[in-house]
Amino acid sequence: MLVTLIRRELLDNLMTFRFAAAVFITLLLVVANTVVLIRDYERRLADYDTAVKTHQRQLQERQTYSAINLMLDRPPNPLSLFNVGLDKQLGNQVEIYHGFIPTLWDAVRHGSDSSMMAIFSSIDIVFIFQVVLSLLALIFAHDALAGEHEQGTLRLVLTHFVRRGHILLAKYISAMLCLLVPLIMSLLFGVILLTTSTSISLSADDFLRIGGIVFASVAYLSVFYLIGLLISAMTRRTSTALMLSMFMWGFLVLVYPNVILAAFAPKASSRVHTISVFNRIERLWDEFERERIQYLKNDAHPGEDSGYGMHWAGWSSRSLREDSSGLLSYYRRVVHIEDLNEKSEPMVPLAQRYYQFLVPLTVDIADQTWNIRQPALEELFVQPATANRVLLKLSPVGLYDAATQAYAGTDLHGIRDFFAAARRYRQQVVDHFYDKKVFETRQWFAGDEGAAAWDSLPEFSFRRSDIGTNAKRAFLDICLLLMINVVLFIVIFLIFIKSEV
Amino acid sequence: MWHIARRELYDNLHSLRFALTTVLLLALMLTNAVVHLREHPERVQNYRKAVANFHNELTAHAEDSLYRLAQKGPGRLWKKPSALHFCAEGGDQFLSYHVWAGYNRWSTDTLAGFWILSYPSVTPNLRNINPTVTKVDWGFIIGYVLSLVALLFSFDSVSGERERGTLRLALSNSVPRHTLLFGKFLGALISIAIPFTFAVLMNLLVISTSSDVHLGTDAWVRLGIIFCIALLYTSLFLGLGLLVSSRVQRSAVSLIILLLAWVLLVVFMPSTLASIAGGFSQPMSSDEFHERTNKLGDDAWDEYYDRLDEYYSRPEDTRGAPSKKIEIEGEFVMKDAEAQGRIHEEHLTQQIAQVKFARTTTRISPVAIVQHLLEVYAGTGFERHLQFLENVQSYARQFRIFIADTDSADPDSLHISGVPKGMSQKPVSPAAIPKFEDTLNLSRDFNAAVVDLLLLTLFVIVLLSGAYLAFVRVEV
Repeated sequence: MLVTLIRRELLDNLMTFRFAAAVFITLLLVVANTVVLIRDYERRLADYDTAVKTHQRQLQERQTYSAINLMLDRPPNPLSLFNVGLDKQLGNQVEIYHGFIPTLWDAVRHGSDSSMMAIFSSIDIVFIFQVVLSLLALIFAHDALAGEHEQGTLRLVLTHFVRRGHILLAKYISAMLCLLVPLIMSLLFGVILLTTSTSISLSADDFLRIGGIVFASVAYLSVFYLIGLLISAMTRRTSTALMLSMFMWGFLVLVYPNVILAAFAPKASSRVHTISVFNRIERLWDEFERERIQYLKNDAHPGEDSGYGMHWAGWSSRSLREDSSGLLSYYRRVVHIEDLNEKSEPMVPLAQRYYQFLVPLTVDIADQTWNIRQPALEELFVQPATANRVLLKLSPVGLYDAATQAYAGTDLHGIRDFFAAARRYRQQVVDHFYDKKVFETRQWFAGDEGAAAWDSLPEFSFRRSDIGTNAKRAFLDICLLLMINVVLFIVIFLIFIKSEV
Repeated sequence: MWHIARRELYDNLHSLRFALTTVLLLALMLTNAVVHLREHPERVQNYRKAVANFHNELTAHAEDSLYRLAQKGPGRLWKKPSALHFCAEGGDQFLSYHVWAGYNRWSTDTLAGFWILSYPSVTPNLRNINPTVTKVDWGFIIGYVLSLVALLFSFDSVSGERERGTLRLALSNSVPRHTLLFGKFLGALISIAIPFTFAVLMNLLVISTSSDVHLGTDAWVRLGIIFCIALLYTSLFLGLGLLVSSRVQRSAVSLIILLLAWVLLVVFMPSTLASIAGGFSQPMSSDEFHERTNKLGDDAWDEYYDRLDEYYSRPEDTRGAPSKKIEIEGEFVMKDAEAQGRIHEEHLTQQIAQVKFARTTTRISPVAIVQHLLEVYAGTGFERHLQFLENVQSYARQFRIFIADTDSADPDSLHISGVPKGMSQKPVSPAAIPKFEDTLNLSRDFNAAVVDLLLLTLFVIVLLSGAYLAFVRVEV
């Protein structure tokens, strides 16, 4: 019986104009946007390649270890085509230096994008689904029960030995099957376009991630279909159901996500806290400076001159970089000697001893700074953002967005993975320096007797988190989506069973 | 006709959609007002602080010497925030709030590079890990919500009556069809205008009662124009609704067509078209830009050294006047500044051309037109940025003329600009320096918006006459 019902509903739906329109419009939008998105991704990839090459060249130009100019670049995520998330807007180039520990907030952006074009909003595939699929689901659902009620066919069907639950189930299954057609078709077209592009290489894991995105899309679609069905079950007339559905859609998709964050603005009271944390960090570096001066006073060379009166050709720089809004402070001393006067030769061991003292101290203070800075950054940036995301997740649109971002790896976790890898790499570089005792070598400040051996540095490699981690991150959101589905279905079932025909 | 309109109006006033529209618009407008009141004072304060800084720096340079003033330039020139920022945000956060007319590029013991206009780019989201959302401004409320509401009010106006059979009844009276159609149109327009006006008034009430925001006469005129544009835009979607509703037999089908058209026109077309159009022109990348500026700088230095070598290689008595060397130096500094200024300008022009082309392309979508119009009248967004840049450039010219005039008025000066020795070393009275004022001009805004206004009107006329033709041929 159920099969017959499903077949009837399916035929009913497939023959309609709205089905044709749904397929057409999703296909059109997805294909047109995928082409644009692929081109955009290719450009970002080209920028990344250029940046990597430039940074390698710039590193090789440095002859001393203290002048280390090591930049890590974050590659664009190919799945950002599906949900761009934070992939495009956050910094994608971060410096590795023994004197500070890099975070997301120290990154800058390479790349040639004309910043003015940012005034136009960009669209990704998940956004298309977010808007179009939810609308289509509501359009399919609004007359499912109210329509039959109006036409009187519901009464007719119920005169047979058909259980009401079966009718509901049949309607749900057939409509979902119909709605899956545009979803799957457009996604297939999108993926075909992706694979034809030579610059995008998708791994097996990526296909699994796309599978996760599809699953989230189906759950999202189902939520909206059930919302429509609920409205349809509660109202007697199709026109009322349609009107209510449309306003519901406008509220959930258009209004709620944009209004909720504006209405609940993050509190600005953390300003005082920021300053106090920054003062603590500054005190560390003041202490560092005092110790440094103390050392220079006490060593064999009179005065506080860290150059030890050497005469040389090259360049040097000293900076104490401070940025209170990002809680960043570090000391940087670069000496790049290309040619040393022979008379200064006796001073070299003194300078070597000085750097043997200074650099481990810098590393130590950097670690201490990190201990203060990390929790403060969490509190200053991450917590408000997390709170905002929770607010957004009160609507299925937010849940869907969060789940697909987690699968695509463009959510905050995914981006932070890169910076965690960068921090690990920095530790490797520092360890490498300790192993090779480069602080004590002449190459730390002078390249005249052989330049720094950059090729022996450990290689940096970053791989996006595996699919298991992605799934774990998306798990809660997916679960919530599914739960909304179940709750809605039960409510509809109860209403439908009790309703008079 | 009024009779029909009144009937429609009464019908609508009782309906669910009217109530929902009122609630929705009111909630959005109040949110908009609250957010504006929270954010605007800070914006104004930042602007005031920046301008005060600018004056202090300028005064310090002027009191030093004319040369220093001429070398350092006027400093950072700030864009004045618009009081009507709540009407259209216009991507303002992606457009720089200032132009730096005093970019210090290089200096040696005796010489220093002259100021040029440099246009900083902004990347506001670099540290922002918050989820990105659309700003709820009037542009959003009118462009997205009001258009959707207009469709919901008009999708069944003809097809619904036909389904119920009341259309036949109405036409059996001696009412011409166009009167009936126009009556329906007016009725729908008024029934949308009522909640919209109410919401707008509440919004303005909240905003104008706050002491932080001051709205002058000019602002009210602009608001009036924006309100009219909103009504025109609503008529456009009502026309579309009537057209589809007359062509289609069933109102459910009519709504589906309209909604899909709305999604295409309003949600997707602006961004997709902009991305496609933006891809056609590739402005100089920032790497290329830096490379070119560096190369230009190196070339200028090479030429300068060549000329100095040539100068010194000549025997001393043929070297000409004692000021000859200063002239060479001055020429080098001025040429360098000019070349660098030109490349900065070229970089900017290319970016602007790209954005302009993208904006022109998006004009197919009515929502883009309306957003452009709102931006123009609210004094935010891209057109406003262009106006600001124009103001800056004309001020830069004025400033240069002032420097030249003051220098030539000093009898002790050699009148060779670019070099300390060649220019007046006397302090300048800060009061005499031309002041930069970023102004908004209504008539100029009107000119900038004329094309968009005409396009919008054209859309409305075409759709309404389309609806008329479709309705006249309807079989009842």
